[in-house]
Amino acid sequence: MTAPAVEFDAVSKRFHKGARISTLAGLVLGAPRRWLARKNESGLLPGEFYALSEVTFALQAGESLGILGPNGSGKSTVLKLLFRILRPDAGQVRAKGRVGGLIELGAGFHPYLSGRENVFINGAILGMTRAQVRQRYDSIVEFAGIAEFMDMPVKDYSSGMYARLAFAIAAHADPDVLLVDEVLAVGDATFQLKCYDWMARMRKSGRAVVAVSHDLYAMAASSRCLYLNAGKPVLLGEPRAVIDRYLQDLSLGQRDPVPETSFVKTESGQARAVIERVEFLGDDGQQLRALEHGAELTIRFHFQANAAVESPMFGLTLFHDDARIPLSSPRHYLFQAFSGEAFKGMTLRGKGVVEVSVKDVRLPVGSYRAKTYLYERDGVTPIFLQDGATRIEVKRPGWSDGRALLDHRQTWGMPVMAEGSQP
Amino acid sequence: MKAVSILAELREVIAARELAWMLAAREIRVRYKHTVLGIGWALAVPLCLMLVFTFLFSRVARVSTGSLPYAVFVYLGLVPWQFHASVLTASARCLTENRNLVTKVYFAREALPLSVVFSALADFAVAALVLVVLMAWYAVVPGWGLLLVPLVLAVQVALSIGLAFLFSAGNLLYRDVQYLLQVLVLVWMFASSVVYPIPRTGNLAWLAWLNPMTPILDAYRGLIVGGETWFKPEFGVAALVSLVLMVFGWRWFRGVEGKFGELA
Repeated sequence: MTAPAVEFDAVSKRFHKGARISTLAGLVLGAPRRWLARKNESGLLPGEFYALSEVTFALQAGESLGILGPNGSGKSTVLKLLFRILRPDAGQVRAKGRVGGLIELGAGFHPYLSGRENVFINGAILGMTRAQVRQRYDSIVEFAGIAEFMDMPVKDYSSGMYARLAFAIAAHADPDVLLVDEVLAVGDATFQLKCYDWMARMRKSGRAVVAVSHDLYAMAASSRCLYLNAGKPVLLGEPRAVIDRYLQDLSLGQRDPVPETSFVKTESGQARAVIERVEFLGDDGQQLRALEHGAELTIRFHFQANAAVESPMFGLTLFHDDARIPLSSPRHYLFQAFSGEAFKGMTLRGKGVVEVSVKDVRLPVGSYRAKTYLYERDGVTPIFLQDGATRIEVKRPGWSDGRALLDHRQTWGMPVMAEGSQP
Repeated sequence: MKAVSILAELREVIAARELAWMLAAREIRVRYKHTVLGIGWALAVPLCLMLVFTFLFSRVARVSTGSLPYAVFVYLGLVPWQFHASVLTASARCLTENRNLVTKVYFAREALPLSVVFSALADFAVAALVLVVLMAWYAVVPGWGLLLVPLVLAVQVALSIGLAFLFSAGNLLYRDVQYLLQVLVLVWMFASSVVYPIPRTGNLAWLAWLNPMTPILDAYRGLIVGGETWFKPEFGVAALVSLVLMVFGWRWFRGVEGKFGELA
């Protein structure tokens, strides 16, 4: 077993919320308070907090680690510790070989200098010798794809050109450990593909990659994932398990404690009718918390009508938690069940249920919140509306790494046996 | 173990010299961009100061500089002094002004104070060219001692590097340093033999022993225009102080370097 390329051994890092002492006046005036301050049981002075506490992981060369977690969970602190910009307060950080990063692209670019001049300076900052930059210069310019602008001051670059040049330099710095911090959000789609391709090649050629991203589909390609929350490691392991856990926590956190409800009142002041709850049932009649791809689904509405409702219309709409998913749907929902004229002429009174069965549910993977509503006759506004009281997950099918909208299970065969082959 | 790690750190600093030169070149290029005079400002500033002090100390008040014309005397003092003063003021700001580098990328942080020394050195070289013209004008013949000038320069550079380490990191810890330095530069100038000779006898004689700049400036003058013995025991002390300051300054800089990412 060779020594790991990257190793975090029970690493903790404290930060201070307020201003640090950076003037002599602050040093003198703040002294009595600091002398009186006592550390609490977790070793913190007042105003301090743990940006990271007891984080441990190890990465072999050729492996990649994806770090995920909400904002402020300490993801970037891990990268800064690896990059030696910060030092740990406890524990050990070890990295074998040169650590390079795509942390802050173009740090050290001078706006008044040309692209060419900046390539040399930025290259030196990233640890390349002048001779190395000269040797790789053409390749850098080609990677960035802005050959005709190399003599222009970078202050006149578009943000995309700026990022491409910066990334191209960083990509040529040839580190042993590569840190990537959410930088691929810039640039157009072609350039992003180029970057992902380059990162994959870096990994294949035996570099260790540590990446931070909110793009969970990119994270899923890592060899392992680490889920951080408020500086504490929640889960470290196989990407899919870690991502599922993260999504689960996210949807828990997002669940509105008080769902939004509105209804039309009777003269006595109570709601004319309410949908008390909605159940998702599987084909065996059992209640479901998560849907399989292609599942048979029954949605059961429990209603309570305190006054008569003529020709009721029930409806339910599902919204994906990731607001980016319904890319083309103008109303931002992915699924709707609506009873329309199914109960025309019927009068609703008292307590009861209505059901709708849906065959072959094919929805993008993820978690959803439901909006339920009840109309009377062809009313324009619902007499009852509730948003966020019910949630449902759509599971990733075992045969797909993607978001699985289409069923692409395949059957292979050899219709005519080739000569010499054996069945 | 300890000695090995210091050697590794030293190797890192030596490897960073190329970066320091490039940062210095960037600084010079940017400094004189969009100016009419360009690098000519490196000449103009000491020349103007020379005219001011020549007027002051040869017309308004008289200062005796022996056989040496006052203009040559003061220019010989001002050029190395400008080097010293610009290192002092620029080094205090070099880490805070480059906070986008210090907090985002790791490199041997010594490159930043070193780049300050290097870019001041470039201005120094340009200003020194005028000296040739000035000496021809006043028909001052240099002595063989000229060959030893690099030694004096080496001592001054060592002193500059040591101070640049101390003040750059110091200003990161306490931003008061940059303001204190404005005062220090002025007081230090008048406590050194920049615009007048510092007496070696009388009740101010201790000043020349305490302040390494006086023997350094006197050594430049002695070597370039000859006349008096350039090497005085004070110079030996100054060389020793400079060397100690450089080593101590570097070790202290390394000691607090881990906090730079948080403080910048």
